[in-house]
Amino acid sequence: MTDVSGAARELAEFRTTLDAWLDDRAGALAAGFEGAGTLDQQMDQLSKVKRLAFDAGWMRSGWPERVGGTGGSTLTRAYLGEALTARDLVEPGLYSMTEVLAPTMIDYATPELAATMVPALLRGDETWCQGFSEPDTGSNLAALACRAEHTDGGWRVTGQKVWTSLAQYAQRCVLLTRSGTPESAHRGITALFVDMDSPGITVRPIGTMHGSPEFSELFFDGVVVPFDRTLGEEGGGWAVAMDLLPFERSTSLWHRAAFLHRRLQELLEAAPPGALDPTRLGEVTQLLYAFRARSRATQHRMAEGGRLGPETSIDKVLLATAEQAVFDLVADALVAKVTVGDDPVSGRWRTEYLYSRAASIYGGSAEIQRNIIARRLLDLGNDR
Amino acid sequence: MDPEEVTLFERSLSDATGRATGADLDNALDALGWPDALVDDPRTAVSLLFGLQGASGATSSSIGRVMAHALGLADGSATVLPAIGGCVPPGSVAGRWLRVEGLVPGALVDRLSVLVVASTGGGGTTAIKVPTASLELHAVAGIDPDMGLVRVTGEVEAVGPGTDVVAGAWDAAVGLGRLAIAHQLVGASHAMLNLACDHARGRIQFDRPIASFQAVRHRLAETLVAIAMAEAMLETSWLDLTPDTSAMAKAVAGRQAKTTARHCQQVLAGIGFTVEHPFHRYVRRALVLDALFGTAASLTTTLGVELIDHRRLPPLLPL
Repeated sequence: MTDVSGAARELAEFRTTLDAWLDDRAGALAAGFEGAGTLDQQMDQLSKVKRLAFDAGWMRSGWPERVGGTGGSTLTRAYLGEALTARDLVEPGLYSMTEVLAPTMIDYATPELAATMVPALLRGDETWCQGFSEPDTGSNLAALACRAEHTDGGWRVTGQKVWTSLAQYAQRCVLLTRSGTPESAHRGITALFVDMDSPGITVRPIGTMHGSPEFSELFFDGVVVPFDRTLGEEGGGWAVAMDLLPFERSTSLWHRAAFLHRRLQELLEAAPPGALDPTRLGEVTQLLYAFRARSRATQHRMAEGGRLGPETSIDKVLLATAEQAVFDLVADALVAKVTVGDDPVSGRWRTEYLYSRAASIYGGSAEIQRNIIARRLLDLGNDR
Repeated sequence: MDPEEVTLFERSLSDATGRATGADLDNALDALGWPDALVDDPRTAVSLLFGLQGASGATSSSIGRVMAHALGLADGSATVLPAIGGCVPPGSVAGRWLRVEGLVPGALVDRLSVLVVASTGGGGTTAIKVPTASLELHAVAGIDPDMGLVRVTGEVEAVGPGTDVVAGAWDAAVGLGRLAIAHQLVGASHAMLNLACDHARGRIQFDRPIASFQAVRHRLAETLVAIAMAEAMLETSWLDLTPDTSAMAKAVAGRQAKTTARHCQQVLAGIGFTVEHPFHRYVRRALVLDALFGTAASLTTTLGVELIDHRRLPPLLPL
């Protein structure tokens, strides 16, 4: 207990100095809007905060030097996102895209490409998106059909993607394509890094229940992608996807825990007398703290070099359960705000309540996570 | 202990809890140096032993010794546990008289001629040594006769003033007791899940193992999630060791054990309802363990009431 490891010291120092900087620059960092804001406003705020944090060095910590980082423990990255979220400076889902896409580039892009591209993402100069799901390929990712033909001038991509978050803002896309035969399943998939201003790409944002059109349909019509934009091996896209998905269930969830903690605290302050049922409140609090404890352990495992795998499906199930439980409580205790409130703060509670409904759908549905747990962690064999 | 020593210690403890129970297990634990480990490395000693006791169903006096350790009594003594469902000291002093109402593991009664009774009265908590023979002892059958609990009651003349216990030590003892019992609940839950998974893989219906049906798979996956939640909360509790988090860990462990019991009972179906299968022992044990030091239900309501009073969430363990 008395032996404080190097990583713990580094993190403690990072925490203290970052907190002081956040206090000091509070005015410059604050959002210029009340409540949730529009998606455009949230994206502007995200870019501003990332740029300020990058230029001051915080956003570079925990990333390798070869991609513009300053090295050090990945825990510092996790803490930065936690601190920004806990102060309501960024929307955690938008912020966390970096944590999902940058590691993929570092592991699978050519060193030159990663060195050129990743700093722009870290600094908020660019937004990237992730083209995985298709209209006929949601949970069954290995059946994806968006075609990549090997031509003399590079890959020629034709097909469609859907649920692509932030595509309308993105300069680049990490895209999964079918390069093998239609029957090649997970063996015939190739991952590409695509410039979103390439001729032949059409983006159509989709209106959502929570009022923020954060994901889009993407159409590719003979889009040419140079071969040096291949991520990993030709035909090796499944490995890219399998290595990326646990990142959707690790650091991004840690940031989400900070967000939920802030909202539950705000609920405690905002709930009218008698509106909170103590037993339900106690259970939701325990659930949130247990989810956070699980996510914390995952962060430490990652920082110690552990490989993330199917066990992160447990983290995702816990997030979905905790997030929906927190906002179910919100919807009951702040019923007037959520149902008929028209001020910005009521609007934010409503938006976030509605968004929580998606927690058990996005990033691998609750059912898919349970299938992974059953097959990979409980060794229950195949389901047919 | 370094990782290699922990592995060896765990193997020895696993062997002991697999073949011995009650007074025999106490003797085996003494031979293995568990009491010394409790002093040197409480987290390792408590988490390993109680997890294994939960998994095997073995009993020992250890919970009483864990409490005594937390009260600062380093003389190998053991304390009486609070009455079922509660967490107040089992003794209360009024004048010359000490009134006792609590529980002890059966093995302890045979082993020690003197029991320590943490007692309130006179403004603080004192640890009073009471001859075992002066107390009324009733073996508890209840829902889990194999657990071998003994109900301790009595009004005895307090001999001497007792040892003052440092302020907060009783809460710390309850906290450590809660962690121990939470580990036991987690151990029992893993055992239930293993039984249910084995059954699901081997039981063939409609020409396929029932493990291939999603309704079964998802119940079992849900069970693992519940157990993982309790384990994560326990890990956090060992790191910050506050009464808040140990109460949360105990509540989460108690609730997940009942969730585990419900899902596994359904998967085990008919055979799990018989005494020819070991499952029922875990169901029984989980109910009693949940009630020791406060049920999940009562701890959860208490937490909620405090949160509403203070309008402030408990402190977070930093990353």
